[in-house]
Amino acid sequence: MATPTPRVRVPAKAKKGEVIEIKTLISHDMEMGTRKDADGKTIPRKIIKLFACTFNGKEVFKSDWQPGISANPYMAFFAKVNESGTFEFAWHDDDGSVYKASSKIEVA
Amino acid sequence: MQSSARRKPNRVAGAGARRIALIGAAAGMLGGALWGAAGPAEGQAKREAPLALEGPASPVPWKRYADWPKPSWDNFNTLAKTDASPPAPKPEAVRKIAEEIKGDPAQGQKLVFDRSRGGGCLACHAMGPATAGAQVGNVGPDLSEIGNAGRTDEWFYNYIFDARVYNPETVMPPWGAHGLYNGEEIRHMVAFLKTLKTPVKYRSDADNPEKRPVPKEDRDNLDALVNPGMWAVDKAKELWSAKGPSGGACVACHANPEAQFKTWAASMPRWEQRLNKVMGVEEFVFRHAKATTGHSWLMQSEQNLAMAVYLRHIANGAEIKVDVTSTPAKAAAARGHQLMERKIGQLNFACLDCHAPAKGALKWIRGQWLGESKGQIPHFPTWRTSRLEIWDIRKRFQWCGVAIRANDLPPDAKEYGELELYLTSLNNGLKFNVPGIRH
Repeated sequence: MATPTPRVRVPAKAKKGEVIEIKTLISHDMEMGTRKDADGKTIPRKIIKLFACTFNGKEVFKSDWQPGISANPYMAFFAKVNESGTFEFAWHDDDGSVYKASSKIEVA
Repeated sequence: MQSSARRKPNRVAGAGARRIALIGAAAGMLGGALWGAAGPAEGQAKREAPLALEGPASPVPWKRYADWPKPSWDNFNTLAKTDASPPAPKPEAVRKIAEEIKGDPAQGQKLVFDRSRGGGCLACHAMGPATAGAQVGNVGPDLSEIGNAGRTDEWFYNYIFDARVYNPETVMPPWGAHGLYNGEEIRHMVAFLKTLKTPVKYRSDADNPEKRPVPKEDRDNLDALVNPGMWAVDKAKELWSAKGPSGGACVACHANPEAQFKTWAASMPRWEQRLNKVMGVEEFVFRHAKATTGHSWLMQSEQNLAMAVYLRHIANGAEIKVDVTSTPAKAAAARGHQLMERKIGQLNFACLDCHAPAKGALKWIRGQWLGESKGQIPHFPTWRTSRLEIWDIRKRFQWCGVAIRANDLPPDAKEYGELELYLTSLNNGLKFNVPGIRH
């Protein structure tokens, strides 16, 4: 499988107190651990088990993911912004890898 | 000689290659209007791109994709093999049925509804009230009241066994003659058909093929958060500067591909004299990258697909304009047209049986809408949400084959090239919108 690539979309600008939509997507097979390969051997589980988002270091969104989550998981959520800063995103893989992305927003 | 001084060497050496190069240069001048859009910045529009001419552009021997149906239909025609299928019957060669057919209608119904042997009758026909919720198709007539039509048992039997004895132009598969059902099974089906005397009442328009809404693709195919096909564009941009075994990279000669190839892909596929066949974007990517960088990006590899998507993506908005006027291109397109009329596979379909509006196109085969030949090319390569992968047009051809029980050919087969050229010429004037997204 290709290296997972995260993609995020955060508005570049917002008004103070505005509720903005954040869209994220990561390319990932999300191998559920129950499928078998052509030789009948179980393909080991490899999923992203935790997705978290922080704003200026403070947690704003976090979710545990399970084997039923689709390949290339898309996650959109809303956040209220009161100040300019940086959203940081982290996808935690079963094998310990963490894929990261970040996006700045300017609040007027 | 001057040709060796101005051209990078390709794999074919000697006088023969130079002669071909000169012919190619002359053809390039004749086709100047076509290439003019590439602009003087390129400065090499009239110079032939170096190609690795030796060997195939896809894996050999070609093995069907691991997650595709396994069977092989060696006893039936393919686009490359015309003498495998049993010959069509003579128009008058009706099988005599002297006595009344006494089959079991219940068994017949089971066979008619069974999807495992070529899709079943409901793919094309409604068959009475029992089929109201079966998402029937309408390529063939509604048979719900065929039992009232006064048809003989012999007519029923022959129509299923091989309808060509009554209508040589039919698109109906010869179920008996091609071994999909045996005589006894067909007798059960006849018995079932004779019981059909009541019109079908659909529960909703979605069940009714005459009223079912036509699918419309309105997802934003150029948004990477909507269409994973767009990821190939990022991948290709990485590959553009990736050095191959011979030290070269695309970027060395093509520093600004988005300007240089603004219309290039819209002129593909084209007749390639050096290969004596039609060459599409994918085969070009393999042979050109091999000759210039040493990369071995075989057709259907991740890299090849990424490049094929990218080169068409940067031509988005360009009008498709393939050449079918030069003598060899015209002849190749004519062969492509013939291929679209060639009956292949156990189900004995030609491309046009399903994709010409006069035949099956713009109708339903079960719940699937059959598109016409025009309008398919502009969105390929396309992301298949049902397969989670990018399909180029050659893979689409291969799948069509397997779906009608005809062996697939290697992606670089010359027949696919001719088919692609003719099909693309039908799409001339339409604009690219790549990568597409389809279910």
